[in-house]
Amino acid sequence: MSWWDDAVHRAVAEAILIGALTGLVGVRVVPRRLSFFTMALTHATFPGVVAAAIIGVNIYLGGALAGIMVALGVAALSRNRGQNAAAATGVLLSGGFALGVALVATQDGFSRDLSSFLVGSILTVSTGDVATTAAVLAVLMVVVSVTARPMLFTGFDAEGARAAGIRTGTVDLVLLLSVEVVIVTAVPAIGAILAVALIVAPAAAARMFSDRPPIVTALAMTFGVLSGLSGLSISGRFNVAAGAAITLTATTVLLLSLLLTRAAALLQTRRTMTP
Amino acid sequence: MSALFLEPFQAPFMTRALIELVLLALICGPIGVFVFIRRLSFVADALTHTIFPGVVIGFAAGGLDGIFVGALIAGLVTAALLTLLTRRAELTDDASTAVLLTAMFAIGVVLVSRQSSYTSDLTAFLFGRILTVTPRQLGETAALAVLILGLLAVGGRAFLFRAFDPGGAAAAGLHIGRLDLWLNVIIALVVVAAVRAVGTVLVIALLIVPAAAARLLTDRLGDMVIAGTALTAGAGYLGLVISWSASVGYGIRLTSASAVVLVLVLAYLLLLPAGLRRRRRAVPR
Repeated sequence: MSWWDDAVHRAVAEAILIGALTGLVGVRVVPRRLSFFTMALTHATFPGVVAAAIIGVNIYLGGALAGIMVALGVAALSRNRGQNAAAATGVLLSGGFALGVALVATQDGFSRDLSSFLVGSILTVSTGDVATTAAVLAVLMVVVSVTARPMLFTGFDAEGARAAGIRTGTVDLVLLLSVEVVIVTAVPAIGAILAVALIVAPAAAARMFSDRPPIVTALAMTFGVLSGLSGLSISGRFNVAAGAAITLTATTVLLLSLLLTRAAALLQTRRTMTP
Repeated sequence: MSALFLEPFQAPFMTRALIELVLLALICGPIGVFVFIRRLSFVADALTHTIFPGVVIGFAAGGLDGIFVGALIAGLVTAALLTLLTRRAELTDDASTAVLLTAMFAIGVVLVSRQSSYTSDLTAFLFGRILTVTPRQLGETAALAVLILGLLAVGGRAFLFRAFDPGGAAAAGLHIGRLDLWLNVIIALVVVAAVRAVGTVLVIALLIVPAAAARLLTDRLGDMVIAGTALTAGAGYLGLVISWSASVGYGIRLTSASAVVLVLVLAYLLLLPAGLRRRRRAVPR
């Protein structure tokens, strides 16, 4: 019997990998204000995953295809006069969600599948899922290190980047695809909705401690891994759903960071005020 | 032909479902326009998720009647927290909305996961039970509709001022924070009114899609309200007919809520060319 045969061991490995993965991509999502778009991707990935499961092809593939369609759809719809990106995102979000729910409802025993899609079940991940997560993490790390400079430039000054000869469209597409891939990878473990928490919260928390991209990235990945592991252990001890426990841990990390930075700022002003 | 479009509504539960949807159209038409111009789609989406813990606690405490109170409290708490968080500078408003949404939803999941009927509760929350709407629930929705539209009528002009010129509104002595809280509370009330009957899937769509589609037809806010309301009522009727005939005629399980949303999104897509044509007219080359 190998180490991987134990469901808890697999869950621990998956929690570490997912935490690192979401932290890595979250650092790029939060400053670009893509949280709502990420949420829309999770809802719209849903019909892709369900359709793939019904047809019998790889669910990662189905989810990724649906996500690409949404990314292109938001870009196309928000070019319409008077249509803002928030509304276009919202339309695709609700449409995708309804389509997914409709597809799921045609199947037998659907409510179990539905809830595992929404909130995940990390204790039932297979060795294959863990391997996929590891592979995605490795690929994304390469992508991130290759595109770090153009990504940063585009994020802070899209006009300037374009003038400097960077293809900002391609850069944005790479970013959106990375987010989509991370969501699809995280679905079996923590579910679609709660994946958003692990993407946004650790990155937002890391941002409070530093402005330098490498440090923020490292911190966000650390926070992600910590949230994953402590959430998992809380879930085991108190018998609650693992995905939810992980989400609440990530939220707690963010709240603590907020309080810490605010307390530090208070101390700073007091020190400068007293002569 | 007329049999196809009228026959479903001979069943009393279908008539009640239609009345509920028309009531919701009357509420969501005007509110949707404000959600659209203030770009509050994410807030609307967040509210549909954050009332989940309220629904769970309410159900555990007081059964079916407790759901309403629980959802109402959770909705009001969310509206207040969202207003507070988005006024702070440390977090961008979309990040704080995302965190609040997932955290409250996770609390709901934790509470539900300790009960036995975990998955079926979640399903009911998503789909709602539009076909089992009781006359009493219709009365409650109607009462909430009056309250919501009244609140909107009082705040409407200030909301518009704030939406199009926040600086001017603040200079004119309006309290931006209070106005934002007011609008968030109204949206929370809409979500609470609608979610038990139609489920979260449909509420998000009703608040976002009709106004976005109406915007393709007109720039005028009054016309947008009318077009959005008409579109919602029409899609509600058509969605019910389609889901009825799919289930009765063809044996396909098509939930009514999904059918209504899909009709709405289809209407939006069909109206896109109209929006493009209007743009071309407005910007002569």
